[in-house]
Amino acid sequence: MNGIATARASRSVHTSQQSLAPVPALPEKGGKVRYGLIPEEIFQFLYPKTGVTGPYVLGTGLLTYLLSKEIYVINHETFAAASIGIVIVYGIKKFGPSVAAFADKLNDEKVSKVREVKELAVSNLQQAIEDEKKEQWRAEGRQNLFDAKRNNVAMLLEINYRERLHMVTNEVKKRLDYQIALQNLQRRMEQEHLVSWVEKSVVKSITPQQEKESIAKCITDLKMLAKIEQARPTV
Amino acid sequence: MILSFFDQFMSPTHLGIPLIALALSLPWVLIPTPTNRWLNNRLLTLQGWFINRFTQQLMLPINLGGHKWAVLLTALMLLLITLNLLGLLPYTFTPTTQLSLNMGLAVPLWLATVIIGMRNQPTAALGHLLPEGTPVPLIPVLIIIETISLFIRPLALGVRLTANLTAGHLLIQLIATAAFMLLPMMHAVAILTSTVLFLLTLLKVAVAMIQAYVFVLLLSLYLQENV
Repeated sequence: MNGIATARASRSVHTSQQSLAPVPALPEKGGKVRYGLIPEEIFQFLYPKTGVTGPYVLGTGLLTYLLSKEIYVINHETFAAASIGIVIVYGIKKFGPSVAAFADKLNDEKVSKVREVKELAVSNLQQAIEDEKKEQWRAEGRQNLFDAKRNNVAMLLEINYRERLHMVTNEVKKRLDYQIALQNLQRRMEQEHLVSWVEKSVVKSITPQQEKESIAKCITDLKMLAKIEQARPTV
Repeated sequence: MILSFFDQFMSPTHLGIPLIALALSLPWVLIPTPTNRWLNNRLLTLQGWFINRFTQQLMLPINLGGHKWAVLLTALMLLLITLNLLGLLPYTFTPTTQLSLNMGLAVPLWLATVIIGMRNQPTAALGHLLPEGTPVPLIPVLIIIETISLFIRPLALGVRLTANLTAGHLLIQLIATAAFMLLPMMHAVAILTSTVLFLLTLLKVAVAMIQAYVFVLLLSLYLQENV
């Protein structure tokens, strides 16, 4: 019993590689064929021993053997075979390349559609990288910006302060000028008042006697002047 | 044993094994299965493209209920095309020349469409028996005629395919024999050979036969299941 159990347990499992990934690539083109039927490998196989003409001689001999021994009988079917052979060969020669190109185009369209998505994603990411670099450069320059702004603000404050200083000075000067003008006015009015009072008292003090004396003096002066004028020699 | 022209249409058996099963499995062997790769070789790409386009064209006039038939009809089309085209090669046997096979394909499918129509929309299905705008006195006659035409459909489908293919093969055999017989006398051979070629091209109409086959089947389908 134990022997059977161990025999069963010693059966080997998982000896091969279970995983199929990565999947091996498909060959892009089919195997090479000559005359559409005979693979190239036969020619390569016969080349060392029989050279280039080997397979052709083999083919001719085979055909002759088949025909002469009537293993392949030529009958009406041969004609039909020949006709359809001609049609098939003609069709393949004529439409083969275009059909192959069409199939390739279908595949290429598939690939290009997906590649476009990939290219778009790559270009988007590159753009993002450049934008990021630009942002980093901008971040460095931000210090300069702040300094400049700080200077601006300081200048504005200074200007404002000086303006207000001037304003204050002007106001104070105006007040002082006002006081000076006031004092000047006062002195002038006092002077005028004094002068007018002196004049009035002088005029009041002129008695009539004095008035007559001064008028007589004026007349004698005038006469004297007239005499002088008359006594001047006429030139 | 004298080989007559109809012996090519005898269903081949070898040691009592019917070889028609082998002949019928040939399309399955020859048409490659799609792989799970994203990009395939040219053959698979073309095949995929063809099947897509064909199914799309086929299902265009049918509304949603009939889309269940897409796989069946496309597979049928592929089978018939491959069988017919393979039969053009020399010394081959075409299973579709057997009436049994074609009737076996035609009758069940046609019956399915009729039963589906009768089951889902019996009124409409029966209404197809009378075309619109018939004058009243003609109605009984016309109903009988339409019923007869309905029942003749599977027969027509099967026999059409059989007849076309058999006739084509026979003609090729005959003309090839004639050309072969006239070869020692040389003169008429050239004309006959070219006729054979032309006839072969005509036989490419076998491909169109499939078109006709599936198309007709499709006609019945969408007439009954849908509008």
